[in-house]
Amino acid sequence: MSTEMLIGAWVATGLSLFMYSFLYKDNPFFKLGEHIYVGVSVGYGLVITYYEVMVKKLYVPMVQQGDWWLILPTLLGLLVLARFIPALAWLSRISFAFIVGIGSGIAIPRVISSLILQQVQGTLKPLVTVGDGGVSWFTFAGLNTLLILVGVVSVLFYFFFSIEHTGVVHRIARVGIYFLMVSFGAAFGYTVMARMSLLIGRFDELIQYASPDYGYATLVLLALVIAGLVLWERGRTSESDNG
Amino acid sequence: MTQSSAELTAMKDFARRMLSLDRRLIFLLIAVVTLLPLLYPFRLPIRVSPEVRKIYDYMESLPEGSVFLLSLDFDPSSKPELYPMSIALLRHAFRKNLKVVGMTLWITGTSMAESVVAGVAQESGKEKGKDYVFLGYGPGGANVIISMGQDLYATFPTDYYGAKTAELPMLKEVRTLRDIQYVISLSAGSPGVETWYVYGKEKYDFELGGGCTAVSAPGLYPLIDTGQINGLLGGLRGAAEYETLVGVAGKATAGMDAQSATHFLIIFLIVACNLFYFLTGQEGRRRG
Repeated sequence: MSTEMLIGAWVATGLSLFMYSFLYKDNPFFKLGEHIYVGVSVGYGLVITYYEVMVKKLYVPMVQQGDWWLILPTLLGLLVLARFIPALAWLSRISFAFIVGIGSGIAIPRVISSLILQQVQGTLKPLVTVGDGGVSWFTFAGLNTLLILVGVVSVLFYFFFSIEHTGVVHRIARVGIYFLMVSFGAAFGYTVMARMSLLIGRFDELIQYASPDYGYATLVLLALVIAGLVLWERGRTSESDNG
Repeated sequence: MTQSSAELTAMKDFARRMLSLDRRLIFLLIAVVTLLPLLYPFRLPIRVSPEVRKIYDYMESLPEGSVFLLSLDFDPSSKPELYPMSIALLRHAFRKNLKVVGMTLWITGTSMAESVVAGVAQESGKEKGKDYVFLGYGPGGANVIISMGQDLYATFPTDYYGAKTAELPMLKEVRTLRDIQYVISLSAGSPGVETWYVYGKEKYDFELGGGCTAVSAPGLYPLIDTGQINGLLGGLRGAAEYETLVGVAGKATAGMDAQSATHFLIIFLIVACNLFYFLTGQEGRRRG
């Protein structure tokens, strides 16, 4: 195994354990890990953006391949930075106007068509159809269609605030609340699943790094973190005893 | 005090103690329940859901040499869920001798996306530029998709490694998104599956499938119902189901026992906490 892989495994293991140490309580190991994370993420983001965008998508095509028209989007991009110079801040409006104009023009028709009209169409499916093969009566799939229809209509009633929720409106809105509760429950269940998946992913790598191939990185660093936490707690206790 | 009221008081005391239990004990319990199945798997059966099977069936139906685009729209923070999906899909695509185009709309996931595409291609004995290409990162999210729909060579003049896309043998017949038979976006947010549908599929008319983190799955299910996407791999479970279909047990399959065990524990804790809460409920309500 290469030295870089080994160093990488030890650093990754150490930082994971530092972050998990927060589950005990806020401590210097967690703070160190947190600050390294913030610094590394920003640094990584900057470096990769510089290389992937500034160099590969701008410098190379413009300077090496002669695509000088790229100077126009570059200027528009630079004008955004004029925001930081109060006397020239107005120049940034040109870029923002371009972004808002183009962005809205592209997004509004596409989003309305894809995420509103087609979703409405999906809500209003027929329960009984008549075709060449005869009449297709209400099936089990039709039950889903009915549930979706009732759910959408009742939830819309719940969010309709222009009339007082009394009588029939109140009862329909109440059904809407039950649909919303089911939806929140499903979303929460999926969130739990996602968070557990992340934990499993981390544990999977920690188990891998606990092997002799990686110099028992997990076991050694876990012992060190626990020892460090014990020493830190003792230091805090003696500090509070003294003063 | 009668015996029954003494029992009720004892029960309430117990419930109160349980509700004020040190939360670190619960963290420890979750850690143990996650760790044990990873160390000693008990291989619970994995049932394949229809939305996952639809993606597998569609991939199976593609003739040899069809062009398959995999957009790896995630970064290392979603690796545990989406990385196993990408490996399973790429293995399936290379086994079927599909021409694979890899790319990403997430800048921080570029090198990880390259390593997975190149890694699985090498493992499958595929040649760069002939059997697969990795286009790298394109800045602009939706604009990249629109631009690819008009001219792929102009959007990505070179691939990730600097080779001219117009000269790559694999991309000779692939000028726009209309020349691609199947697109799957594995996304951890936006830009992702929805962006590919809104700005890509609807206009350029290719078949689209999706893969996503479990958090985003409930928001994408309505797109399956309307046929806007033809299937969905949701979270680690979706990845494990696809691994089952492909017949190669990977990281997702290995994690499913731990996933089931933690879910069982969480269900137990939710039920227990509610029971304890109702046992002490009258007091709580009086205090509140």
